[in-house]
Amino acid sequence: MAAWRHVLSTKKVILKFVDIGNLYLSCLFFLSTPKSAINKIMRILCGLVLVLLGLSGTGLAQEAEPVSFSRQILPILSNKCFVCHGPDAHDDSLVRLDSFAGATSDLGGYRAIDTANPETSQILLRIHSDDDPMPPEEATKKLTNAERQLLTRWIRAGGNYTVHWAFVAPERKSLETNADKTEVLDSLIERQLKQKGIDFAPLADRETLARRVALVLTGLPPEPELLSSFLNDERPDAYSRLVDQLLESPRFGEHQARYWLDAVRYGDTHGLHLDNRRGIYPYRDWVVKAYNDNLPLDDFITWQLAGDLLPNPTLQQQVATGFVRLNPSTAEGGAIPAEFQAKNNFDRVETFGTVFLGMSLTCARCHTHKYDPIQQTEYYRLLAFFNSTAEPAMDGNSYTYGTVVKAPEDQAAWSEWDSIELAQEKLIADASARLDEADLSEEQLKQWTNGSINDRLAMLADSKGPFGKFDDQVYAKVIQNSTVKAEQEFTTTLVARDLPEPRPTHLLKRGEYDLPAGDPLEPGIIEVMGSFPDDAPKNRLGLARWLTSRKHPLTSRVMVNQIWQRVFGHGLVRTPEDFGVQGQQPTHPELLDWLAVELQEGGWNLKQMMRMMVTSRTFCQSSAWRDGVDDPENKLFARGPSYRLDAEVLRDLGLWASQLLDPTMGGEGVKPYQPPGMWLAMAHPGSNTKNYVRDEGQRLYRRSLYVYWKRTSPHPMMTLFDAPSREASCVRRSPTNTSLQSLALMNETQRIEMARMFAERLIRDANDDSARLDLMFRLLACRNPSKPERDTCNHLLNAMRQRFDGDIPAAEKLLGYGDAPRNKKLNAAEHAAWTQVAATVLASDVAILIY
Amino acid sequence: MNKDPIREYELLSTRRQLFGRAALGVGTAALATVLGSQLLADQLPQEKTADGLHHPATAKRVIYLFMSGGPSQHDLWDYKPKLRGMSGQQLPPHVRDGQRITGMTSNQKNGLPVCPSKYKFTQYDNHDRGVYVSELLPHTATVVKDLCVVHSTFTEAINHDPAITYIQTGSQIPGRPSLGAWLSYGLGSMNENLPSYVVMHAKTDFAEQSLFNRLWGTGFMPSQHQGMLMQSQGDPVLYLSNPQGVSRVDRREQLDTLAALNQEQHRRFADPEILARIKQHEMAYRMQASVPELMDLSTEDEQTFELYGEEARQPGTFAACCLNARRLAERGVRNIQIFHRGWDAHGNLPKEHESQCKDVDQGCAALIKDLKRRGMLEDTLVVWGGEFGRTVYCQGNLTDTNYGRDHHPRCFTVWMAGGGVKPGITYGQTDDFGYNIADVNGNPLTPQPGKEIWTPGTMHIHDLNATILHLLGIDHTRLTFRYQGRDFRLTDVHGHVIHDLIA
Repeated sequence: MAAWRHVLSTKKVILKFVDIGNLYLSCLFFLSTPKSAINKIMRILCGLVLVLLGLSGTGLAQEAEPVSFSRQILPILSNKCFVCHGPDAHDDSLVRLDSFAGATSDLGGYRAIDTANPETSQILLRIHSDDDPMPPEEATKKLTNAERQLLTRWIRAGGNYTVHWAFVAPERKSLETNADKTEVLDSLIERQLKQKGIDFAPLADRETLARRVALVLTGLPPEPELLSSFLNDERPDAYSRLVDQLLESPRFGEHQARYWLDAVRYGDTHGLHLDNRRGIYPYRDWVVKAYNDNLPLDDFITWQLAGDLLPNPTLQQQVATGFVRLNPSTAEGGAIPAEFQAKNNFDRVETFGTVFLGMSLTCARCHTHKYDPIQQTEYYRLLAFFNSTAEPAMDGNSYTYGTVVKAPEDQAAWSEWDSIELAQEKLIADASARLDEADLSEEQLKQWTNGSINDRLAMLADSKGPFGKFDDQVYAKVIQNSTVKAEQEFTTTLVARDLPEPRPTHLLKRGEYDLPAGDPLEPGIIEVMGSFPDDAPKNRLGLARWLTSRKHPLTSRVMVNQIWQRVFGHGLVRTPEDFGVQGQQPTHPELLDWLAVELQEGGWNLKQMMRMMVTSRTFCQSSAWRDGVDDPENKLFARGPSYRLDAEVLRDLGLWASQLLDPTMGGEGVKPYQPPGMWLAMAHPGSNTKNYVRDEGQRLYRRSLYVYWKRTSPHPMMTLFDAPSREASCVRRSPTNTSLQSLALMNETQRIEMARMFAERLIRDANDDSARLDLMFRLLACRNPSKPERDTCNHLLNAMRQRFDGDIPAAEKLLGYGDAPRNKKLNAAEHAAWTQVAATVLASDVAILIY
Repeated sequence: MNKDPIREYELLSTRRQLFGRAALGVGTAALATVLGSQLLADQLPQEKTADGLHHPATAKRVIYLFMSGGPSQHDLWDYKPKLRGMSGQQLPPHVRDGQRITGMTSNQKNGLPVCPSKYKFTQYDNHDRGVYVSELLPHTATVVKDLCVVHSTFTEAINHDPAITYIQTGSQIPGRPSLGAWLSYGLGSMNENLPSYVVMHAKTDFAEQSLFNRLWGTGFMPSQHQGMLMQSQGDPVLYLSNPQGVSRVDRREQLDTLAALNQEQHRRFADPEILARIKQHEMAYRMQASVPELMDLSTEDEQTFELYGEEARQPGTFAACCLNARRLAERGVRNIQIFHRGWDAHGNLPKEHESQCKDVDQGCAALIKDLKRRGMLEDTLVVWGGEFGRTVYCQGNLTDTNYGRDHHPRCFTVWMAGGGVKPGITYGQTDDFGYNIADVNGNPLTPQPGKEIWTPGTMHIHDLNATILHLLGIDHTRLTFRYQGRDFRLTDVHGHVIHDLIA
């Protein structure tokens, strides 16, 4: 246990934490036993080197470093040169710069890169030429001086090519495998801090940290009992225990599912034209369940892509294939099915690329990719995996479009179904083990062997049947009845199924559905991302096996980057949607790779990965901006995460504080308050989502994850706070800060209702102003208010008291918002005044930020 | 030097935004007002005008009158006298030339019977070869000397959802930013108290086709660039009004406390975004005053209502939206779009189009006249049009008095006015059937959309968008936003500025 973690377990607030030993550690990481005399000397030397580097400025350090082709040169070539000299060059007479062979080829006595005589390399001459420069005068993208210098150094050093980093399978480098994993994570962050001559920031205080970790893991602040038991826990592993409890909360799966639902563009409507209802929410509930059950992420991927192709797929595995069916669809009169067969598949392939490969494949729909080595043929090979699903191209505006299965209605029904399935399995397994004792005719044996679960249950429950002599028919009957009863309450959900005969897939010229070219293509993958496993079937299941194989260079990196982004607010690759040549380089490449391998070797264990991240020193730092650290985007991770909470969390937090939050999980999307006419103003008259009929009762207060998602017009409280429309994949929301958000925070019906109910709670649960303010801040900020906070709240409270004392009708009006019953025994002026204070604090950065 | 944290933060956002683009240059007008152009100078190495644009703009703002559903050019603008005697005859196959047509008429029992317009057309003088306008648009006919009428607009999409998504976002598949979002991103706002992009939905009796958030949405761009829907019912701006029982004075008190709480948060964490948010809360407070002032038509004189018609007094009518558009333009809103639905006349076209034209005709003309008399037309671009046109052949039963028309992508009429377009010109023409774009001799042209070469006399929807951006001072090839490694443009890899239309 690292010493710093112990700090978290004591009640003392330690403001400054300096670990001098660590100062040298980054330099000496490869040394496993830093105790010997030699090592001591080396530590001192290394320290000196660091100091010298620090003194001599960055120039020397850079000059000493070799140029990295993958990280420094390829991005320049890609961005500035490939448009004419790259994989999709149209003019064959132009030299190709996307390979060493191309760049060094003889162009008639001269070469773009001349390894024998670098100074005569054409690249070198042309990038410095005023008369005949490259890129040419008319190019929109020119080289900067820094880029010229890099290219020059690269060519002088031999002009070597290597593969883009993201296409090489991640390996762990020179790290002890038996070290504490969280310490390895921290050391890989710390290395860069040391290079900048700084240390980690001090730890966040325990209250702040408890709030932060609860919000990151569950999307809600810690429950008051959990918070106080953590704050009073003096054992060294107090924080670790808090994390464990949060990971076990069912709120964990709900919160994590949100990110995934953005990525896979989950919606409750078809998305195009009529934008009618679509029945697929069991998929959403399955995602929540999978996260809560900590389903290994490789299974999580496989079930979604190909659960239907697994042997004897379970209901969960089938429901998971809803992923394949999430593309927007249409049934517009006059639309041509062949066109939408193509468009639906484009959407699937491109979403697949963004979600699992962290790459846009869209370019390759029409032509070979301009920047990344992806052939147009490969795009259509990939498309062939998806082209044989059985549903028609047009959705018929139907709730049950294409292939569907029946599935549990909500999370409670899923749990019930899980236990029924367990009982079924046990019953059948027991009977199977005793088959020789049963009186099975050959016909019955066949029936038993080939029959469905329900068939077998019926045989077991039949007292006159072949198992009549067994003594558990009554139990079998009970299970059979529960099965029937549960299935009667099932709803439908869209799933993937393949046609018996695959549809032929052709390359489409320029991506035009009516311009197929060449012979039908076999399903296949993108070669640069590793080979297809020899023994894998050429279907979606094989595709999943390729993705999750140890050698795959992208999947584990992309997944771990998404997880890091959820925890820290930014990924290690800041463009989670683009790991290609044009994307940003990872800020901490070695850490990314280390985590990617860790994810794979640790059994694709999401909770374990998140536990490692949130218990890291890196995560537990104070998030205050630091004097003297010039890193506004926190690319060094030299402070803890801070960002505005997502739309869903903003709403959930208010519902939670006001005790309105309904914990029911899953089921059909819910419809909270929404200004009238928003759907009608835009909807097709034939649409079955033209009228927004808001819910009543508890459904108004469900977690925002369950808010009904109409893709052409999502709830304004979601879109105003940067939620995507879910018409296309989104793996990173762009946070904005607008005046419309301010209006929404202060004036939206549900927010006023929350403030009113929060006020009621404060008045009920605490006895005086001071105690009420304490309670409010403890709930929202996990701490008591500071003096300035207390003063300004008191000022507002008194002003509002005065105002409403003199205008009771105004108070009554304010207290009339929302359906939640109001406690009319409370003094209206007092209640309204507290409502105003609660509304204000709920809208303040004390409440709406992670910090 | 002491750094002002908000300024630093905004500069950072600016850098982020600029570094997100390969082609630097535009997008700084609004930021320059916040940051001072000095600060931006070193961010923008490429040539640009003093206000940060690619070239001098002739239009400062755009008002886009979007006729959703596809108005029939045959019954409004594209006069085809030779069809008079051909009613009911089959469209000659060479005219269609194998073009794909929608599933609604491709297998129709009566084939593709030619359907001449039942409406009377009059030729009006303009500054060019004159222009025919049908009797359905009597008011618009009075302003043709200000209009640049383009008969040769075309698209590839043949159904509404893809077509409207295409013309509004440059792609038939959802996910890209809208024209308005691009303008907001590129140009910013001229009025801090109002959003830079406002969308209105006008009333219609035939709300037949759906609209989608994506038409004014931001796709992969940050959501601050999305169009703000200004509604005629309830709050004109979402959540604008304080709850009942909360006065403006009360809100002031709340905001003072909010600012104090946020300042305290800033003291603890020094995150400059906290200060930026305090500014947004203040802007919201100012909007609560500026928007009702904007919506209050009581200051408009009688002459104005004579111009726009009595309907302009009813909130939500097209005329009222036009009047609001002028008021928004006056207050510095750069980008205003009015969507009027109901032009999808597959059947009963006469009844529907008569009603639709009555909805929009006077408002369109009034807007032009009103802007002109206020000296605003010269720097306000007005655009009128839909996502595609309608077929020369009839859909459903054809009689002398009633008919319907299917979707037609190959040619349709769009007009523009003001903002630096040539006034009073007629551009492009179609063949005798109004089916294909034609050269001046009436021979069909088959412009290949998406090719490098532009065919003079034609205007693909990408060309329209390129031209709109050009008039606003933006080079459509250089306004880019990087997403997934690609520098996206509104016009994708297409689009040509049509200089023939520019004064």
